[in-house]
Amino acid sequence: MRISFAKLLLLIAFFIVILVEARTVFAFFGIDVSLIGIAVTGVLVISALVLWAIRPGNDEPTEP
Amino acid sequence: MTQLFVERFPDQARLVRLAFFNSFAAFGIGALFGLIQALHRTDVLRIVESPTYYTVLTAHGVFLVITFTIFFLVGLYQWAVTTSLERRPVDMRITKAWYWLMSIGTVIAGITILAGFLDDPPEVLGSQLSADVLFTFYAPLQGNPLFYVGLVLFVVGTWLAGVDWFRTWWAWKGDNPGARIPLPTFMVLTTMIMWYISSIGVAVAILAFILPWSLGLIDSLNPTLTRTLFWYFGHPVVYFWLLPAYLLWYIVLPKLSGGRLFSDPLARVVFILFILLSTPVGIHHQYLDPGIAEGFKYIVMTNTMFLLLPSLLTAFTVVASMEHGARQRGGEGYFGWLDALPWRNPAFTGMALAGLVFAFGGFTGIVNAGMNINYLVHNSAWVPGHIHTQVGTAVALTFMAGSYWLIPQLTGNRLVWRQAALVQVLLWFIGIVFMTNSMYRAGLVGVPRRTAEPQYAFEYDVGVGSMTELDFQLALGGFLLFISAMLFLAIIFMTWRNSESEPIVDGTIPPALSGPEDSPRVLDNLRLWIAIALVLVAIAYVIPLASIVTRGGLFGPDIGPFPVFTDPMILLEYGSKLIGMVVI
Amino acid sequence: MAKSQVTRKITHDEFDPVGTLALIVLYFIVLMLMWVFTYFVEFVGNDPTPFVVA
Ligand code: HEM
Ligand SMILES: [Cu+2]
Repeated sequence: MRISFAKLLLLIAFFIVILVEARTVFAFFGIDVSLIGIAVTGVLVISALVLWAIRPGNDEPTEP
Repeated sequence: MTQLFVERFPDQARLVRLAFFNSFAAFGIGALFGLIQALHRTDVLRIVESPTYYTVLTAHGVFLVITFTIFFLVGLYQWAVTTSLERRPVDMRITKAWYWLMSIGTVIAGITILAGFLDDPPEVLGSQLSADVLFTFYAPLQGNPLFYVGLVLFVVGTWLAGVDWFRTWWAWKGDNPGARIPLPTFMVLTTMIMWYISSIGVAVAILAFILPWSLGLIDSLNPTLTRTLFWYFGHPVVYFWLLPAYLLWYIVLPKLSGGRLFSDPLARVVFILFILLSTPVGIHHQYLDPGIAEGFKYIVMTNTMFLLLPSLLTAFTVVASMEHGARQRGGEGYFGWLDALPWRNPAFTGMALAGLVFAFGGFTGIVNAGMNINYLVHNSAWVPGHIHTQVGTAVALTFMAGSYWLIPQLTGNRLVWRQAALVQVLLWFIGIVFMTNSMYRAGLVGVPRRTAEPQYAFEYDVGVGSMTELDFQLALGGFLLFISAMLFLAIIFMTWRNSESEPIVDGTIPPALSGPEDSPRVLDNLRLWIAIALVLVAIAYVIPLASIVTRGGLFGPDIGPFPVFTDPMILLEYGSKLIGMVVI
Repeated sequence: MAKSQVTRKITHDEFDPVGTLALIVLYFIVLMLMWVFTYFVEFVGNDPTPFVVA
């Protein structure tokens, strides 16, 4: 784990929130993102985040 | 590690637990009704008839913003006074009396509201037992007299609680002449001063007008007058919800972050500003009310903008205290210190997220407060959006997070399921963003609040996406919130039962970086602040009230009750009259 | 959770809340953007009340 489980959960929560709000913001600039589009982006981004987080870090030992 | 609260003051801990029990019971019922509303409005699932929606909504409002919040407040304040003065109440009978008065009041008002679910509610005191009047009980909506009686008992209970805390402080002062008031007690006393000044408004509205009117003793009242009296109380009441959360942010959050409160004097200034400024602003809820001159509304808008000051001071002090903790824990950099905060601790994370939501919800409050833009959002779904970011999250989530820290000290039991508790606060955060984002956006395109059938018969011009999508988002958010609420209750319940354990909390509160000795003594001169507050109230309200009374009369231009119970014949009659008017 | 992991004591005089400043600046920028947004919603997004001559 590169970050603690708690921080991973927190980051996921923030990503979801940002994705929800980003859609409104984009639409304001005339960029319409479809619901499917944002959902797929969300799944991708969050999976990437999880993958990054669970890979062991460079310098740290295997500490939970 | 010092002794736990429950070991030092077992009887006080019991009382606080009782108050929290009432609070959380109301929270559970309120959350269930919230879910029903969210699903009903969006037409996802309808388990009640649309006319019954108002029974649900009244219960949601009253149970959450009266029972849940205020019972938590009295519990928290009892704890705060007891620990910070290190003494028990002067007379425990008074303490028990206020607890029972508040509880009985709640039960009476609660039964009256819930009786609205019956097909044929019994007749009590000359009218049907029901009160579908929403938590604002605007005349000419009329509820059963028992509803108002319940509210009165509840409020009198809170007054008595204030007396109780003042007496504890006076006794302490006798033993500690010349000492500064400890900060938590200072917060309790200032909150109660604000509460006394403001709740006179609702007391007069109920006792002089609405209750006699609902009993049939007077035939008519002046709705503008009772509304104005309600909002005289209605704005300060939002600070009555908020200030206990502030207490937790100022007293507990710095400690949880691993640091110390940045400035005790600044905290005192903030609470004094609330005494001074929270009452002379109530008319900002009435920007759209006819019968109040624009000039008064303008003055009130100016006062309201001043009220931003204590909130910004709080943002600074609380964030600086968190930063102090983070740096003591080794945090570095402009933003890097955020990483050093104890995010694993649900009590910390919950309060921090609550503060974050509050900061952004605050913006929507500025929108509401601006006279011109208020017209854009008034009575639209935007308003419950605002309500749920502020009292529904900044306050409610802080209370939940605070409970994770307090309940172990009140029960002597270890908090169960810490990871689940973290998930719980995060779920609330996500749920609230889904739900309020949808409410804000729906409100901007004109979707009304307080209705079971927001669609009526036309299509909204939703700028982005579709109405279906907004509905889906609202229902999803409401569902997540409900799950989160149930998880919270389960964790608290299991902790309550977890008596075979030793808690791992440390209840000590470190002293502030800049302590009370750095602040001028005049801050503790409560009499002075009361006097100034009364003058400001007089300036803001005497002329508007006088003009409302001269215009509409003390008892109004013959306003009879609107039958809010759902007698089909009467509704039909009203409906046909309305249609008649439209056709003509 | 490991109890308090406080690694150093920082006194009032040593403490310089630059992180707080940074967050508040960020917050004000966001507030300003939200006001811009509100401007569009209020003044550009909504037409005046329809002009009806009886
Ligand atoms: C389970 C979580 C919750 C859900 C799903 C929920 C849902 C809703 C919905 C959909 C409305 C709008 C009803 C309408 O205007 O037709 C509403 C109104 C409201 N909610 Fe909630 N809510 C929740 C929690 C809370 C909490 C925790 C509080 C406060 C502590 C709160 C306070 C209010 C208030 C004051 C109103 C306005 C009532 C009125 O217009 O009379 N809600 N809620
Ligand atoms: Cu207000």
